[in-house]
Amino acid sequence: MTWQHDDPVLYEKEKAEVEAHFPELRFVVENSLVYVRGNFAVMFEEQVLDHYSVELQLPRNHPTGLPVVRETGGRIPRQTDRHIIAADGTACVLLPDERWRLWPVGSPLLEYLTGPLHSFFLGQTMVEEGHSWPFGQWAHGAKGVFQFYREMLKTSDLRVMTTYLDYLAAKKVKGHWLCPCKSGKKLRDCHFDQVKDLREKISRKDAEKSFTTLKAAGTSAIEDPEANPPAPIFQS
Amino acid sequence: MTADEYLYDILASQTLGDDSDEVKTLQRHRADVEKLIRDNFKDTALTVRYAGSKAKGTMNKESYDLDIISYVSSGDNTAGESLEDIYDNHKKALAKEYTVEPKGSALRLKGCNPEDLGVDFHIDVVPGRFTDETQTDAYLYQSDGDKKRLKTNLDVHLDHVRDSCLIDAIRVAKLWRVRNRLPIRTFVLELAVIKLLTDKKKKNLSAQMEHFWTQLRDNSANLTVQDPANPNGNDLSKCLDDNLKSQLAAPAKHTLEQIDSSGWEAVFGKTEKQEKAARVEILRRAAAAATPSRPWLPKA
Repeated sequence: MTWQHDDPVLYEKEKAEVEAHFPELRFVVENSLVYVRGNFAVMFEEQVLDHYSVELQLPRNHPTGLPVVRETGGRIPRQTDRHIIAADGTACVLLPDERWRLWPVGSPLLEYLTGPLHSFFLGQTMVEEGHSWPFGQWAHGAKGVFQFYREMLKTSDLRVMTTYLDYLAAKKVKGHWLCPCKSGKKLRDCHFDQVKDLREKISRKDAEKSFTTLKAAGTSAIEDPEANPPAPIFQS
Repeated sequence: MTADEYLYDILASQTLGDDSDEVKTLQRHRADVEKLIRDNFKDTALTVRYAGSKAKGTMNKESYDLDIISYVSSGDNTAGESLEDIYDNHKKALAKEYTVEPKGSALRLKGCNPEDLGVDFHIDVVPGRFTDETQTDAYLYQSDGDKKRLKTNLDVHLDHVRDSCLIDAIRVAKLWRVRNRLPIRTFVLELAVIKLLTDKKKKNLSAQMEHFWTQLRDNSANLTVQDPANPNGNDLSKCLDDNLKSQLAAPAKHTLEQIDSSGWEAVFGKTEKQEKAARVEILRRAAAAATPSRPWLPKA
């Protein structure tokens, strides 16, 4: 079964909201998958600044999973610095671990379109016109994961980071475990609340992926002269 | 931004650099046309050169033609005995690759292949014959009008414009003509600008243009121009008749009113710099209001 069959009310609600806000986008069901296709307008104060031909493939577990986004007009070069995977044209709109901040699980699809997706295409327009990414960009692969957790956990210690991720990926965490912060204290006496909070925000699956990514990369994830994300120049 | 800075920005945005796609296309066309002509007149001593705005330095991006002269040496009859023969033989030669439309002394080239059928390449070929061995004056055939032979001199025309010190004013006037869809020939407009601004060469560009439009508004009825290469033989009065003069006076008046009430931007719109700055500003504001999110890529 698919989400649109399980929850036809949600399907109709998402469809109505998206098509009302973006009149040139259409919901299409093909092979039991829901796609959103058409012209995606980059707007500001009711003025269309740009538009892109897009296809969003909603996952079978929508709205839990992230949509797969493709720019179908062939306008954005399939290059890593444009955050498009060359092999299949998939756009890397956000770091999944950061999703809770940008489009929390259970939020309407429209908020994904007006939020991170809009920022992604606004950024593409600005890069195309010779500017930097307006809010900066995560480094590719493990380095980007490292940057994200370094900012969030306020540490550059890879061992601390991976221990946190290990705890986030675990089925359960126990208070008598050692705190990942290396204080030597038990978790319940140290950063238990922080870990619980992060476990609510970051899915176990995403944490597990990041754990694996950082472990595999080892110190190469941190030995990057560009480990500091570029300063956002347009950030409010 | 001062009025002059504005006008020079407008002209800069209208400039076609040598490495621009437009100029490269023109150069390619010119090479093709010259080869076609020379291949067809192998035994003829021909002079093939750029004429028009390309040679004068008055070309604007918004509207430009490529004028190419193809003059036969004096006494050479291999391309045709009469001027009309030379004109017709050029037409036949060019028709092998183009659709050719007679246009006064010129032959306008358009596409004739399925992929470019009827496309106006904005290329005019002007066949003619030098009057003597000095290769300066030339006779042109005129396909329309009562007089079939016109004496002219390309170098005198080029020098008249290039030495006028009014190239910028001419380019602004040409742009104004295009924007107002005025049916005045380029050559006649150039002569009018030079005549009206002869004693204003030391003025800055905006003052020159205001004077030019003021004269068109107030004194166009008295405006006459002469062909510097043939002042007595080439009557240009038909090219600047009373009807056209009144057609020039009205937009000149309107332009001066626009400058007075709304400034120069009202005449030619925003410059590229201004448009770019406005674009950057709105993108900046859009980014400031957007959800700050950073893109990523799974694999390094």
